[in-house]
Amino acid sequence: MKRWMIMLVLFAASGSSQAFELSINKLVDAIGKVKDLKTVDDKGEAEIGQGVAANLLGAAPLVQDDKLQAYVSRLGWWLAMQTERPDLPWRFGVLDSENVNAFAAPGGYVFITKGLLLRMRNEAELAGVLAHEMAHVLQRHHLNAIQKNARTGLMADLASIAVGSSEHAALAEKAIGAGTELYARGLDKDDEFEADRMGVVIAARAGYDPYGLPAVLQTLEAANAQDSHLALMFKTHPAPQKRLELLDGLMTGTMDPYAGQPILADRFMKVVGDYAKKWRAGTLTTKSPQLRAFSYWSAGLKPRCA
Amino acid sequence: MKHHLLLLGLLLLPMSVLAGDPGQTLIAADLKQEPFADAKTVSSLPAGSVLDVVKRQGGWMQVKAADGSEGWLKMTSIKLGTGTAAKGESGLGSLLNVARSGRSGNTGVTVATGVRGLSAEELKNAKPAPDAVKKLDGFPSGKREAESFASGAKLQSQKVEYLGMSQAATNNSSTFGGGR
Repeated sequence: MKRWMIMLVLFAASGSSQAFELSINKLVDAIGKVKDLKTVDDKGEAEIGQGVAANLLGAAPLVQDDKLQAYVSRLGWWLAMQTERPDLPWRFGVLDSENVNAFAAPGGYVFITKGLLLRMRNEAELAGVLAHEMAHVLQRHHLNAIQKNARTGLMADLASIAVGSSEHAALAEKAIGAGTELYARGLDKDDEFEADRMGVVIAARAGYDPYGLPAVLQTLEAANAQDSHLALMFKTHPAPQKRLELLDGLMTGTMDPYAGQPILADRFMKVVGDYAKKWRAGTLTTKSPQLRAFSYWSAGLKPRCA
Repeated sequence: MKHHLLLLGLLLLPMSVLAGDPGQTLIAADLKQEPFADAKTVSSLPAGSVLDVVKRQGGWMQVKAADGSEGWLKMTSIKLGTGTAAKGESGLGSLLNVARSGRSGNTGVTVATGVRGLSAEELKNAKPAPDAVKKLDGFPSGKREAESFASGAKLQSQKVEYLGMSQAATNNSSTFGGGR
């Protein structure tokens, strides 16, 4: 508490002097060495996660399709049961965005965009991506990233500040802002690689072919990097081919016994395919540009059916 | 309208994994008779060989090369899609194409959603939607839901250790350390 106050005063007094930011960094480092920065407790984690999730859902709403949301949520919970934090209040949602991405927020929030979901072929792929996001939660990657930042390092004592006090509200708000910012900036590459390694194992534990996540990475590698829907995902993650190669190196030999586990393409196609059809049917009833795009596409498809 | 029916019919077909999707070798690679590293080599493909992917099995893909030879390659040595696949992720993203076919393309979608979106800028300016967070609470959750979801597809949980956590972390940070 006191340390926090002193640092805040120092920080306020310093203006934006870079030299001072450096010394703050050193100070935080020094404290960290003497005594590990206190990690936010479960309550604080939940509060930050809720705020970050609210911001994310402000940027992209939930898909309005109960069946689709239920499917992803049930799958997510089955995966959660295979992890070391099965009792978190996990929450899963499909975002109504054509962007290709997936997100996690502290406390157990996991989101996938419609754009990514519709690029998948089976449940094992979806499981792999959800499990990757869950690994970020399991390892508290976002919280660690928030705390690593010198400015936000001031929040190290978030947990020790009484809920309801003015300091608490201000700090929580700052943490939520920093957490949301991470979506645009991305986590450390190492955190992404770690989430990949854990994701494939969680999928295997849940009884899926663990190569679902590598298969998605291969799809992303094939995707057009110029497509604006992929821009943020490519910016904030290591190259898919690099991730794929690292995974392959670790999975060869170790994951072979599970490679024959189900991919569940049928169940996936039934739920997600139904949704895709409904979406199209809904938009088709509107105006002509859609119909034009529609016939263009079906013409393009013809050679495939021949 | 006929197009429409044709499409619906197509959708009802079980979409087999990757059936006949185009790809090419990223590197020179040996085409194996079976999906094992020590299986017999059918032929050696130079980098950039165009091929059709029949299916994936674990980390391997069954492919047909342009010269007619068939066999297995590691998925890491294949890049899906080729220059000839002008439709982008046509075969792979079938669901995406299905859904998108009703849309007017990128610009139309962006305009329709107005200020909302998941670009870095849009994320920064997002207004919180706490009601949407509450909506998540209403989705099926908990162990019982999860177990029935699993048993409905005969999914069986397995005991599997995490992969090379400490060692890999060390290796990675020396190679791709970035910000650490």
